[in-house]
Amino acid sequence: MKHTLPGIVGAAMIVLAGCSSKSAVSTADQTGAGTGSDTGSGANAGTVAGPVLGDIFYGFDSSAVSTESQEQLKQNAAWMQSHAAQAVTIEGHCDERGTDEYNIALGERRANSAKEYLVTLGISSTKLSTVSYGEERPFDPGHNEEAWAKNRRAHFLTK
Amino acid sequence: MKISKNSLAGFSLALICMLFLPFLLRAEEAREYIAIRKQGAGRIAVVLDRTAAKSGKESEWARSIDGTIRSGLDFTGIFNLLPAPMNMRSMPGGPLNFGALNSVGAEIYTGGTMTKQSGQVNLNMEVYDALSGKQLMKKQYSGAETQLRSMGLRFCVDLVELLTGNKCLLFGSKISFVSTKSGFKEIYMCDFDGQNVVQLTNTRSISLTPAVSPDGNYIAWTDYTSGRPDLYIRNLATKATASVGKPGVSIDPSWRNGSNELATTLSFEGDQEIYLVRPNGTISRRLTFSRGIDVSPSFSPDGSKMAFVSQRSGMPQIFVQDLQGGAARRLTFSGNYNTQPSWSPGGDKIVYSSLQKNGEINIFIVNADGSGLLQLTRGARDNESPSWSPDGRMIAFMSNRQGRKKLFVMNADGSNQRALFQMDGDQQQPSWSIVR
Repeated sequence: MKHTLPGIVGAAMIVLAGCSSKSAVSTADQTGAGTGSDTGSGANAGTVAGPVLGDIFYGFDSSAVSTESQEQLKQNAAWMQSHAAQAVTIEGHCDERGTDEYNIALGERRANSAKEYLVTLGISSTKLSTVSYGEERPFDPGHNEEAWAKNRRAHFLTK
Repeated sequence: MKISKNSLAGFSLALICMLFLPFLLRAEEAREYIAIRKQGAGRIAVVLDRTAAKSGKESEWARSIDGTIRSGLDFTGIFNLLPAPMNMRSMPGGPLNFGALNSVGAEIYTGGTMTKQSGQVNLNMEVYDALSGKQLMKKQYSGAETQLRSMGLRFCVDLVELLTGNKCLLFGSKISFVSTKSGFKEIYMCDFDGQNVVQLTNTRSISLTPAVSPDGNYIAWTDYTSGRPDLYIRNLATKATASVGKPGVSIDPSWRNGSNELATTLSFEGDQEIYLVRPNGTISRRLTFSRGIDVSPSFSPDGSKMAFVSQRSGMPQIFVQDLQGGAARRLTFSGNYNTQPSWSPGGDKIVYSSLQKNGEINIFIVNADGSGLLQLTRGARDNESPSWSPDGRMIAFMSNRQGRKKLFVMNADGSNQRALFQMDGDQQQPSWSIVR
């Protein structure tokens, strides 16, 4: 399954509009590479040059990298290898279930598992940093499984 | 009920004491009252009389004091405040009619007078055993006009200690918490009853999990001002602030009783493990060594044992570990997701939150040996972050039962659940403590 979430792209761009120093595009829609910047809001259109590093998603209370996530990480690694100078920050996120403190630890394990997989694909660990936001920065503010599934993620930011 | 007779000599002595001492606690009578009470349990039925005052200004102060004392006593959950019977006195200012008090079920009568003397406010309070008619306490509280609340609360402390025989830690305690009132998660602190809210941080990032040291001198919390969750420790008096400054996360501090150190989860060595940290941010020693998440420490009153959350058995469960060594013992076996342990000030109970199959998060209480599991909240969405009042009588927690995240309190048996106060935004992660 591709994590093609058309609604998210627009939402991501709205989030980005308020984020001046970093650029990021969510979704794993590689066939539409650049979609993110196409649908971006005018306020931020100039700063998003089209790096597409797709989010990867996790099961409840899990930091295991699934087969689908491995595919996405391979695509992310390919982009990073063609942009070797580019440092990437991996954010670990959780859904709102469970408790705040535990989720910060869990979010860190998610970011670390994504990082470790990218390193096995040949990405230098010096180019990768991680930060956990636990359940503090949900991507979808909804209170249902559909929202939670989108929020259990590792998100990739280029600096 | 047994009524002991005072000897004439004892009575004279008491009279002399009354003339020379502003504070008179009739220890024998109070002990007798407490001994008799214990057979009954239940709430103590109290008639709290209107404080008498002469002039307009003094009456205003008296009404303010009455409000403080009434809400303070009510907050404890140990009193049943009865309305004063009409025929309590045969005439205004006349002697108390204890028969009338008995007829409405009053066990205790308390009342007083408010006077002004050379710019100072004097509150003279008396407490009587309504059944025997004996005076249990007579005390004067003095202060400036601006200190009415603290005068009223000082009387509440004395009354609780008089009638329960236990030290009253409630009225001087504070609750630190997280609020989004400003648009960012910041740390705030308020009095035990939600009054006098003060904003402590202005990080404009994400500030989380405040914890005040047992001596009341430091507050620790985690925030993202450095771009990642780092731990900060601030001296409340001097405002000097230290940070841990290690890579990875530094989250969820809890102070170790009987020491000047806190425990917190750090991940600079790769795994999320619990460490003891000094107030200057340096590491004292590592406490956990298991693969996977170890988080949310809480210490026994003597500081010898630590309850904490561990992933070592798969899903998060609560474990107890002796700090002198030995294997951690799993405490919780009911439920697949148990977190946020808080060890009671009495040492016998541990309260925690559990994510249940129906999707609710509820608060449970269990004996420190794992027996006697009880559910304290149910059917009211998410109830998290339980924190004991310093006297162990109450538990503060976060609930979103009314929609947004708000602070609640309940008695330790789960009864009398109510919102602590009204404040804009979300409030969460209450931490109850003594602050000097």
